[in-house]
Amino acid sequence: MKRVESSVDKIVTDIKNFYQYDKHHFITINAVDLGEKIEVQWFFCEYEKPSDVIMFFIQINPTEQIPTIKKVIPAAWVAEAELVDLMGINIENTPKGFVLEEDFKEVPLRKK
Amino acid sequence: MAIQYDIPVGAQHISLLEPLHFKLTTENEKIVDVEANVGYVHRGIEKACTSKFKFKQVSIVVGRICGLCSISHTTAYSQLAEKLLNLEIPLRAKYLRMLVIELDRIHSHMLCLSHVAENSGFEALFMQTMKDRETSMELLEAVCGNRVQFDYSVVGGVARDLKPEVAKMVLEHLKQLKPKIDDLMDIFQNNWSLSLKNKGIGAISKENAMRLNAVGPLARAAGVPVDVRNETEDLLPWKQVGFQMILENGGDVHARNLVRLKELYVSMKIIENVLNGLPEGDFFVETKALPEGEAVVRLEAPRGELFHYGKGNKTQILERLKIKAPTFSNIPAFVEMFKGNEYASAPAIIASYDPCLSCTAR
Repeated sequence: MKRVESSVDKIVTDIKNFYQYDKHHFITINAVDLGEKIEVQWFFCEYEKPSDVIMFFIQINPTEQIPTIKKVIPAAWVAEAELVDLMGINIENTPKGFVLEEDFKEVPLRKK
Repeated sequence: MAIQYDIPVGAQHISLLEPLHFKLTTENEKIVDVEANVGYVHRGIEKACTSKFKFKQVSIVVGRICGLCSISHTTAYSQLAEKLLNLEIPLRAKYLRMLVIELDRIHSHMLCLSHVAENSGFEALFMQTMKDRETSMELLEAVCGNRVQFDYSVVGGVARDLKPEVAKMVLEHLKQLKPKIDDLMDIFQNNWSLSLKNKGIGAISKENAMRLNAVGPLARAAGVPVDVRNETEDLLPWKQVGFQMILENGGDVHARNLVRLKELYVSMKIIENVLNGLPEGDFFVETKALPEGEAVVRLEAPRGELFHYGKGNKTQILERLKIKAPTFSNIPAFVEMFKGNEYASAPAIIASYDPCLSCTAR
């Protein structure tokens, strides 16, 4: 797996410069609670060389808003909506309520 | 402008086996917009796997995510843990995993085909397909000890070896199953009334399937060459046992039926090759190591690409386990497939999508 570091400001541009819908398969988005920080990860592979998984990642403060990549990858809305509910990440233009109820207060996958 | 009506389908609906809700916006009888809600059965399995269970127990927990593709989850997780442990398993264990994965694919594809037949108004074909599917369920029971393949893959290999008499039984039953699949192929391919319900219905183009990152039979029916079995030689040697990718171009319900039917033949060929070339040796290797670092595994489940991400920190409890199921990836493409179709076609489209909400919501 190849790790590519980015930042909140640059992640959309980095993915936009990298991603071509007919060359790359977008796998999903994940997040890992590191305690003080959260690492958000975007996974891709190439149709031609699918065994090589490429992961873009950024580390953010838990309350920081991150931009959506829906304009680059329309199918990313499901993965973003899931992260909002389960990890409590604040993603631009992504409401709660896809996996959990809208008024559910907990964020199940965050460490206390 | 025509009057628009919002028609709710699910979460409890006669044409849905899964707790899935759609809001179909229709103009006259045509579907013009769709909203999907998949959050009815979230069970917190990822949380449980990283807080309550030791990493070796997790393969048992993820097996409970889904009753249809239990072996896909347990195998993907076992492979992930083996990567984190830097553990090489015996070749015999890899072959036995492939055997059960392909038996599972046969039963899952036949279940989907039977539901497409039922939702297309073809009850007799539904019953015939379910009756023929029973062979694969009996074989799974003979190999794994259960009709549902809970806990067959474990960290380090598989839970039980294959007896020679069971291997012989599998080969004999597959010989009997083949002409039955031929009959089903003939009906699904050529039956005139079924073609009215399936051809040109719920179609998605190759470009849209790629844009929306579709996976599995849904993508392959639109001509997108995605099948993880084509890629992961390091984990399971699919090409050694005769894997062959099936592609269609129609992108509609009919094309998805054909992809699944043709994949049944591929699965049967793989099983025959696995059993005829089954390596001698151990089927399990013990380890006392602890998982460290991060790893990803992709595996072709019956519905498409299953993805597991894991992070270990040299303790018995994993730091993070992320599971992405194929149905989850296909939601955007599925929503697109409805648009422009008649409301009456919705049940057949839903069945051909082959949704699994237990996997999706976890």
